[in-house]
Amino acid sequence: MVSASQSMSGMSLGKFIARYGIVISFILLFVVLSLASPNFLSTNNLLNVLRQVSMNGVLAVGMTFVILTAGIDLSIGSLLALAGAVAASLVTGADAFNPLLAVAAGVAVGALCGAVNGGLIAYFKVPAFVATLGMLSVARGATLLYSGGRPIPNLSLEFRWLGQGLVLGIPVPVIIFAIVFAVAAIVLRYSIYGRRVYAVGGNPRSAKTSGINTSGIIFSVYVIMGALAGLAGVMLTARTTSALPQAGIGYELDAIAAVVIGGTSLTGGIGRIGYTLVGVLIIGMISNGLDLMGVSSYYQQIIKGSIIVLAVLIDRSRAGRE
Amino acid sequence: MKTTRRFLMGAAAGLALAGMVFGGSSADAKTLKIAAIVQSLNTEYNVLWADAAKAHPALADGTATLTVLDGRQDVLTQSNLFDTAITEKYDAIIFIPVDIDAGNEPIERAKAAGIPVFGSNTMVSNTALYDAYINSNDVEAGEMLAKAVIDKAGPQAKVVILEGMLGQSAQVQRLEGIQKVLKENPGVTILEQNTANWSRAEAITLMENFLTSHGDAIQGVLAENDEMAVGAIEGIRNHGLDPKTVPVAGVDGIKDALEAVKRGEQSMSILQDANGQAQGAIDLALHKIVGDSYKPRAAVWDVNGGKLAWNDGKDQHYYVPWLAVTSENVDKVLVGN
Repeated sequence: MVSASQSMSGMSLGKFIARYGIVISFILLFVVLSLASPNFLSTNNLLNVLRQVSMNGVLAVGMTFVILTAGIDLSIGSLLALAGAVAASLVTGADAFNPLLAVAAGVAVGALCGAVNGGLIAYFKVPAFVATLGMLSVARGATLLYSGGRPIPNLSLEFRWLGQGLVLGIPVPVIIFAIVFAVAAIVLRYSIYGRRVYAVGGNPRSAKTSGINTSGIIFSVYVIMGALAGLAGVMLTARTTSALPQAGIGYELDAIAAVVIGGTSLTGGIGRIGYTLVGVLIIGMISNGLDLMGVSSYYQQIIKGSIIVLAVLIDRSRAGRE
Repeated sequence: MKTTRRFLMGAAAGLALAGMVFGGSSADAKTLKIAAIVQSLNTEYNVLWADAAKAHPALADGTATLTVLDGRQDVLTQSNLFDTAITEKYDAIIFIPVDIDAGNEPIERAKAAGIPVFGSNTMVSNTALYDAYINSNDVEAGEMLAKAVIDKAGPQAKVVILEGMLGQSAQVQRLEGIQKVLKENPGVTILEQNTANWSRAEAITLMENFLTSHGDAIQGVLAENDEMAVGAIEGIRNHGLDPKTVPVAGVDGIKDALEAVKRGEQSMSILQDANGQAQGAIDLALHKIVGDSYKPRAAVWDVNGGKLAWNDGKDQHYYVPWLAVTSENVDKVLVGN
């Protein structure tokens, strides 16, 4: 079994390729795109790609926690829109509040919805698919209600900086994503909490007998997911300069796809957040690269879908053998 | 085994990409590169627009190339496509924004990079950002469709309004036109008014629900586009009523709506000239880049026998005229398409 704690020494070439296949695919894709489009490798474009993937990246980090516990969260696109609308309403017009308050409000709204998801799943044993499907609809309705079905424009400059600003030439959304990713990677790899997330997903029964509060862990991953969806909603709103009630539709699919392409098992307990990052970059590079080449979006959807299914096929065949 | 599969995946992705790349057309270094960032290639009007744009004579003779980039009905996607167009150093961008406000900032970015931006079809709120823009007057379309329904249903009619995606310029302005006419006709009652998001499927459901609430009290349907008008007709039929007895009017002139006009089920479709808007925008872009030596090629211009004054390409804003399609002229229009 390929697990996070397994030692790296004494690995055969075959095992090496098996483990790093996703990275090899990534490098291959990178080379192909660099050859195909002369502008792909420019600093500006690479920064563009990073900025473009930053929201999906933040979502995919949360989704990694959820999927590691063998769960799923379909509601994040709606949570993102709701959080964006709430945040935007605090920084619109003449009497705009401090943007940090808007960020806090967006994250809090997301976390609250995530807590409802987590509570239903962990304590009332509602299947994650059903609970979050319900939330997908509820949060979208709440967004429309809150915004009156209309976009919320005229956001303060300070708030928009979160989506458009640069620090030392690096886009702010990229910095936010980098921080989120680094914290999540440290938590999953080095903290007791992180090990418990793996344990709960890998074998909930033995996790329980060894004294882990499995319900608490499951509850917590949905709160984390919700908070990160809220953060992504704030970033998206700041980036697009107005909160749209129909924002984020279908974003859950890209986040799930990134995690799955990164090799995290949908049955839980196996996976690495580093590979989720690779998955996020692969999806972002495919969109960007094909756009640069002017490939029709009809083909793009076919290519993206095929890659996701291939990744799961690999996961299945591996799980079946081990 | 594991190894092979991992490799297969990478190879499949790589090959798919390579196929796309080397199969695609390669642009001559001297031809001008135009990018068209559209709303969504899942909507018929945008597809019509894109097809018309690709048929512009300047593309066939190698003056310019056109790349149509699909905004997938998502403001973030459109914003990202602007980055792409800037990176790829296109000579001009033609833009059909998803959202009236969120579209402003990407244009500012393109202009900062020295790329002129031209509007077509739907607009952003800050039209001063455009180098030039060409659209049809949506307020006028709203007026036309409201008048068409009231003419048929009478000055005391009880009507419903099917709205487009809230916040888009076409929705805002068509509603403005409708309200203007309703103000002049105080006897008309609005029974219901709700959004069906430009969608035929949503309009069917919405219309069915309206009919469940109000039954045959509904005497007219004002649909802000044809997709929803066609959906409303379907909803009326599903409810067991004869669509011919309820006047319905919509905007765009899509094929299904024209057929419905021909069958007498839709009173009027207000044809939006996709050809004029798309090819007109390309002419404006090329005129800007090439200069006065460039002669416009689109049929919509007066210099080419059309109704729209070219005025040497000096105006910032051009209105493409609408064509009201009723049972009287529908056959001619259908043949023309």
